[in-house]
Amino acid sequence: MAEFVQTLALGLLIGGVYALMASGLTLVFGVMRVINVAQGAFLVLSAFVTWWVWRATGIDPIALAVLTTPLMFGFGWVFYRLVGARLRSAPPSMSVLLMFGVALLIEGLLNVTAGNRYRSATPGYFDESYTLGPISLPKAPLYGFLAALAVLAAFYAVLNRTWTGRAIRAWAQNPSGAALVGVSAVPTATLAFALGTASTGMGGSVLSVLVPFFPASHYEWIARILGIIVLGGLGSLPGALTGALILGLAEALTSVYVSPQWSILVFYGVIMAVLIVRPQGLFGARVREDVAA
Amino acid sequence: MGGTNGLSRREFTTIGLGLGLVLVGCSGEGSTGGSGKELVIGASLPLTGQFSQPGQEAERGYRIWREMVNADGGILGRQVQLKITDDASSQDTVVADYTRLITQDRVDFLLGTFSSLLNYPASAVAERQGMVFVEPAGGAENIFTRGFDRLFFAQPALSADQANTFVDWVKSLPEAERPASAAYTTQDDPFTRPVIERLQDLLEDLGIKTVYTSVYPAETTNMQPIAAAIAGRKPELLAHGAVFQDGVGLVRALKQQNFSPKALFQMSAPSNAGQYSKGVGEANTEGVFYSVSWHESAPTPLNKEFVAAYAKEYDNAVPAEDAADAFAAAQVLRAGIEGADGTDQDKVAQWLHGNEVETILGPLKWDKRGAPLGSFLLAQWQSGKVQIVSPEEAATAEKAIYPKPGWS
Repeated sequence: MAEFVQTLALGLLIGGVYALMASGLTLVFGVMRVINVAQGAFLVLSAFVTWWVWRATGIDPIALAVLTTPLMFGFGWVFYRLVGARLRSAPPSMSVLLMFGVALLIEGLLNVTAGNRYRSATPGYFDESYTLGPISLPKAPLYGFLAALAVLAAFYAVLNRTWTGRAIRAWAQNPSGAALVGVSAVPTATLAFALGTASTGMGGSVLSVLVPFFPASHYEWIARILGIIVLGGLGSLPGALTGALILGLAEALTSVYVSPQWSILVFYGVIMAVLIVRPQGLFGARVREDVAA
Repeated sequence: MGGTNGLSRREFTTIGLGLGLVLVGCSGEGSTGGSGKELVIGASLPLTGQFSQPGQEAERGYRIWREMVNADGGILGRQVQLKITDDASSQDTVVADYTRLITQDRVDFLLGTFSSLLNYPASAVAERQGMVFVEPAGGAENIFTRGFDRLFFAQPALSADQANTFVDWVKSLPEAERPASAAYTTQDDPFTRPVIERLQDLLEDLGIKTVYTSVYPAETTNMQPIAAAIAGRKPELLAHGAVFQDGVGLVRALKQQNFSPKALFQMSAPSNAGQYSKGVGEANTEGVFYSVSWHESAPTPLNKEFVAAYAKEYDNAVPAEDAADAFAAAQVLRAGIEGADGTDQDKVAQWLHGNEVETILGPLKWDKRGAPLGSFLLAQWQSGKVQIVSPEEAATAEKAIYPKPGWS
């Protein structure tokens, strides 16, 4: 029984962290219908920035999200204004190609500036745990989990409680209708892209403590978070959270009770099964072709 | 319309100029290619992508060897030029790269790339084209079952035999002190998995009871469920077929589970010196065993010079094992060319099959498949440094730390 509870706890903790990684990607897709395959590279970029500052100052890496989040927000804002906005009328394949190019560019720049070496932020608690009876709760994933909940709650509040958030959602659902009531396309899309990129600030800071990373690590992350948002439903924040928790639990339970070899297969099996029943994912809405163009 | 063949003067001139340029191009290539003064050695390496870290270290190893060999007067009086391309860790690209190096660039010799995954197809291209292929990595057993006779692996033993020295060390313990139980986990990788499977067989033969085994996919970043399962079974010995980040991840996760085995053997990850100790925390490296092909203070010929040249070139860094293996592969090739006294590929291959070569890894010799006939060294982290603890003649520390102290 203790082993089962321990496995559930570990699965939920890592699932929460995966949700943090995936939230920005699903937001950007929801608003802009752009699959930002550079999201993994943004995460790794933020992890490097965190590592650099942590090494130089000793400030807690997860707390450094206070720095990396606005930095990545600014980066996303400028990037969208300079590059992303040009994609609005381009076919989706062009945006995927462009963002893949951006991911390679970031990987190359990090290779040159940071070197092709594994880095890892190791604050005092990186390998410590809280103990609850027979259950160990590792501190780093626990803090990452709490950070993920905070970011997801903030996203939810912004999207549902503020005029800006409503404008973003309105534009996501019906750009023409939103334009008729005064929601401007470019500023709204810029804000959504910047918010999606900002989430990689916190995500990268957490990543820097959880696993060693190097410039090419983004391939592992983008594959995983794309799977999560497809499972949850493209564009849905609750979907990203649910999909991520399912992935975390599937990984942990399969690893312990079947074989780690099956864990990824089980996850993609779950995605296939869900998509057969619900092609739009768990929480995704069917896109209305008449208004989505 | 001009000539009898229907070509206009302009067309004739264009074709003539084109042919001229082709000839100039050929002669230009010849000056650096097979028939020219410089000896051109081609290699494709994973400078980007999944295997970029060992790939870039291998490039350093090759380049330092070239500097040293050129300063030494070259090979058979010819200066060495390296032609290195990036295969981006892709099997398709590595095949295209080696095909181009052989058929278009017409390099004189080849050196191998990194990882079994890439050397498997690359060595097939070389064999088909009749080229000697000395590889610094690629110890998977199935690379040597294809009947190739120009392939040579420049490490002391195949992957599957990597852990033999560890088994010898376990055997050397009095029976009462040997671990009673063991857990085995490995990445699903052609390099790591056979080692751990062989190790499990050998330790079971010694009477050590297996309490846990698992194989996990290469994409696994979350090692906590595996660590939790291992901790639940409390093995006295843990053997881990790690690459790098999974090696660091498992140590961290074991510490988070407050479980420390009496003996921990990991593959590859602990050989990444500073990156490993920074990743797990230096105190947590204490007592970790791994097998290794090379050691920075080994008294082998040229090793001291290699370490010094590497430090000078790369910011006082200690070479990674991958750089040393690449350097040794190039040493093997040089010995073959000088031994054969020429650049005939068959003669070089024959010479290497019949002779032993001194390298910075120690002496290397091969069976008819090109598989090396030596054994790895058993290394252990002690007080923040790597020491060789077995075999006795290569040991740099008096004794191994056992049982491993708990996590710090």
